[in-house]
Amino acid sequence: MNQAVISCLHANLPAVEAVLKDIELQGITNITCLGDLVGYGPQPNEVIELIRDKEIPTCQGCWDEDVVDGLDACDCSYPSQLAEKRGHFAHQWTTDKLTTENKDYLANLPYSIRKDKCLFVHGSPNSQHEYLLPDMDAFAALERVENARAEILFCGHTHQPYIRELADGSIAVKIKNAVPKDTQEKEIQLPMRRIVNAGSVGEPRHGGTKATYVVYNDVTNEVKIREVEYDIELTCKAIIDAGLPPIFAWRLKNGFEFAEQAEDASHVCER
Amino acid sequence: MIERWALVSGLKGDLDTYELIQKDLKKIPGNITLFVLGDMIGPEKNCNRLLHRLINPKSNDLQPWCIYGWWEEQILLESGYRGDQRAEALRINKGEEVVKSLTNAVDKSFLDWIAALQFGFVELDCGLIHGSSKDVGENLTLDTPPLTLLDRLTRLQVNRLFTARSKQQFHLELTEGIVNSEVEDLNGNRKKEQKVPQKAVIGIGAGKNYTLYDVGTDNTQFVQAGYKTEKRIKGFGRL
Repeated sequence: MNQAVISCLHANLPAVEAVLKDIELQGITNITCLGDLVGYGPQPNEVIELIRDKEIPTCQGCWDEDVVDGLDACDCSYPSQLAEKRGHFAHQWTTDKLTTENKDYLANLPYSIRKDKCLFVHGSPNSQHEYLLPDMDAFAALERVENARAEILFCGHTHQPYIRELADGSIAVKIKNAVPKDTQEKEIQLPMRRIVNAGSVGEPRHGGTKATYVVYNDVTNEVKIREVEYDIELTCKAIIDAGLPPIFAWRLKNGFEFAEQAEDASHVCER
Repeated sequence: MIERWALVSGLKGDLDTYELIQKDLKKIPGNITLFVLGDMIGPEKNCNRLLHRLINPKSNDLQPWCIYGWWEEQILLESGYRGDQRAEALRINKGEEVVKSLTNAVDKSFLDWIAALQFGFVELDCGLIHGSSKDVGENLTLDTPPLTLLDRLTRLQVNRLFTARSKQQFHLELTEGIVNSEVEDLNGNRKKEQKVPQKAVIGIGAGKNYTLYDVGTDNTQFVQAGYKTEKRIKGFGRL
């Protein structure tokens, strides 16, 4: 059966509506959301209410967590002081706009959702703030999936959709200085695992302007990345009208979002 | 000049053991650097004399380079040095009495010194920590999955990781690793074979059991303080 996985909606209502429409047109009813319903975008309440109305199972994203708990990520999240300043402004704006009911909803979202062999998280099984980038160290990537006791790990947070298969792995170990003295050696075979990043509905960072999500078939194990056009102008106008930083609109319109990517995105936030 | 490290942990207030180790180390020629990888304190005995000695070494003592361990983390938590958190894990697992014993074992005047200790040291291509690069309380042992060990090495970007939390002494080499990665994204497909160079995780022991590491030869020797030290050390590298 096909299921859709969406992530990083970022209060971009036109993008969310377009993606949900695309999912509906394929006849898919099983949807999982990986969080970051809010942040950067101009319609946080509307997006939360749409997800709630449709009863889409959702993990808590880093923005969802920070809006509820206060900004408690370390400075690693931003590549520059200017980006950090804009992020803090958007955080405060979102906090002020959200209704109490919607804040409660975000506060009670789970960190992860498990369905059989699949684990759904926002960043990584370790943290909502950890980026699993497509070309990160393969052993570290495999460790994230394996230690989470999953076969397929669905994540978001990077805003770049990808499917990564890690296979044919092994590690050879040798015990030196062993008691008794004989040296012990063995080779451990590593299991095949996959990481699927759903990209971002509301703030793509793949170099284009289209919203992205993934469709996973749990029978064939096939995963497809979907790109969906939406009315960007509508979102850009709402960003400007809301008084949010105009660069948020510029980035959406030009499909250039790399400006907000941390320099060392593999860094694990040590809050 | 031969350079060695002496790696000690889990003294838990035991000044006698510390003095035995200092005595052992004075018999070894060459340059020795003494690292104390946490758990200088514990709930079992008064720790003030040991802490005073670590902070104010005797003139002929090797200077100890200390980091904090799990027990230091507990007292810092309980004493309000970590914000609103308290030593709840300790309280739940060991009970209120142990929490009280710990706070009674350490004079408050030492807390600022403990709070200023680092999580670990990176020397050359080696990480020296109490637990793991993920958590001060994580046990790394011979039974830890190699993938996890590799991850903890990668997080510190080191080739050798010295750890104390498990109290075990071991030298586990990750001699070879390989994994094939295939990524599909909007730009297409790319494949990559990733290999890892030789790396190692070394458990240094605790209390009287400590480890000597020869920086030049990458050899470890597991030592028990005061136990036939001279004879054992003769068999360790070139002395």
